[in-house]
Amino acid sequence: MIAANDAPHYSRPGPNLAAGLLALGVHIAFLLLLVVGVSWQTDHPEPVMVDLWDALPAPPVAVPEPQPRPDPPPPPEPVKAVQPAPAAPPRPAPVAQAPDIALEKKKAETARLEKLKALQAAEEKALADAARAEADAVRQARDKQLAEQKRRDLLRQMEEDELMQRMAEESAASELRQAREAEARLAAARRQAEIARVVGQFRDKISATVRGNTRLPDDLKGNPEVRFRVRLLPTGEVIDVRRTQSSGNPAYDEAVERAIRKSSPLPLPADREAREAFVPELSLVHRPKE
Amino acid sequence: MNPEFGQNISVVQLIIHASVPVQVVMALLLGASFMSWWFIFVKWFALKRARRVADRFEREFWGGGDINAMYQRVSAERDSAGELERIFEAGFREFMKLRRQAGQSVNVVIDGTRRAMRATYQRELDALESHLSFLATVGSVSPYIGLFGTVWGIMIAFMGLSSVAQATLAQVAPGIAEALIATAMGLFAAIPAVIGYNRYTHDIDRLANRMESFMEEFSNILQRQVAKSA
Repeated sequence: MIAANDAPHYSRPGPNLAAGLLALGVHIAFLLLLVVGVSWQTDHPEPVMVDLWDALPAPPVAVPEPQPRPDPPPPPEPVKAVQPAPAAPPRPAPVAQAPDIALEKKKAETARLEKLKALQAAEEKALADAARAEADAVRQARDKQLAEQKRRDLLRQMEEDELMQRMAEESAASELRQAREAEARLAAARRQAEIARVVGQFRDKISATVRGNTRLPDDLKGNPEVRFRVRLLPTGEVIDVRRTQSSGNPAYDEAVERAIRKSSPLPLPADREAREAFVPELSLVHRPKE
Repeated sequence: MNPEFGQNISVVQLIIHASVPVQVVMALLLGASFMSWWFIFVKWFALKRARRVADRFEREFWGGGDINAMYQRVSAERDSAGELERIFEAGFREFMKLRRQAGQSVNVVIDGTRRAMRATYQRELDALESHLSFLATVGSVSPYIGLFGTVWGIMIAFMGLSSVAQATLAQVAPGIAEALIATAMGLFAAIPAVIGYNRYTHDIDRLANRMESFMEEFSNILQRQVAKSA
């Protein structure tokens, strides 16, 4: 008598993805809050250090102005072409007049003509020679001038190249120098900040050590301040404790002095420069409560 | 950075540098926290839906609609129906079956109907209460797990202190901070779980009351109908 539709009906929802995403969101938000919002830092205030410096840090070195770029020298004047004076053609020797003899007139005439012809030929030859010589001279002069010009141009080019190169080298060197100086300044500033931090940290440590060793008198009221000048060995051993300003409560002053002596050796930074703030003499300002 | 003085202790670094047992505890707590938040949201959605559907059904039921038509509709969409609708459907189906068998007395019919409704009610309540025990467990146990991690971490921090001549706070501070993160995580897991558990137990109680009231009222209506027709 058991019917199939008597079976109980179950409806089980599957895993809810939206809920999973929301849960993830809650955790991410919490983690962000934890990382971004909360940061345990013990920062020591910088002003604490100001009066402890023996010498002020060196003022920043003035950066040399970059030299103005020198003008390139004026190009040398091109030399005027020397015009060689044309060589004068040699004058032909005057022709000697042959004696006019009737008999030998014809003969003489022909001879004279021949002679004349020869003379003319010689003259022509001389003229041609002279012209050739003249042309040679002109061509030689022009060649020489051209070579000279070329040499000068080349020289000038070389000079300019050299100048440019020197200038580029100079500017690169000055840039490098500036960068190095800026880096050095930055490093110095960072170093000083680091020293200031270490000094502040050890100041706190010394105060904490002394405070831990102090047995406060019963009648102490408020938070009185007492100042000491403590002479220290580089190892931190206390040599001498001198009170520079009383708190007004002698019992408390005594207690703090005893505590300083008991705290010997005091913790000192390993860094030599940071230790200069403590050795050989440390001015200690003490209050029973922080 | 000098580890001895621990200038900038970030939470992430503390977690990364924690000892292995503490890290295991932290991972466990993170998982528990994640799962409990998941169930918190699952239950939140489910209960909101249950309330909305119950409101709608009650409005329809008491609005004087036809019970037969309502039964047809509910049995057609059983999967998307609410808790009250399923109780109604189971009761009415049993009632119809018993009515069909002639010669049943009123008491037998009504008792059978009520039993059917109660069975469905138990099942629905069980579904509603699922995962709540997980929330209760996380809420009560995770502070102890966190405390265990903290105690372990502090033990290790002090063990490390035994080897140095002069003990300073700076030597144990990171270890203790790291250990305390475990407690913080335990509390972070436990607080929402406890709140969620209490809130949802209350909500489910109210829903259960509504369902029981409906069962009684519906039984009365059916009984009146049987008496009228008899």
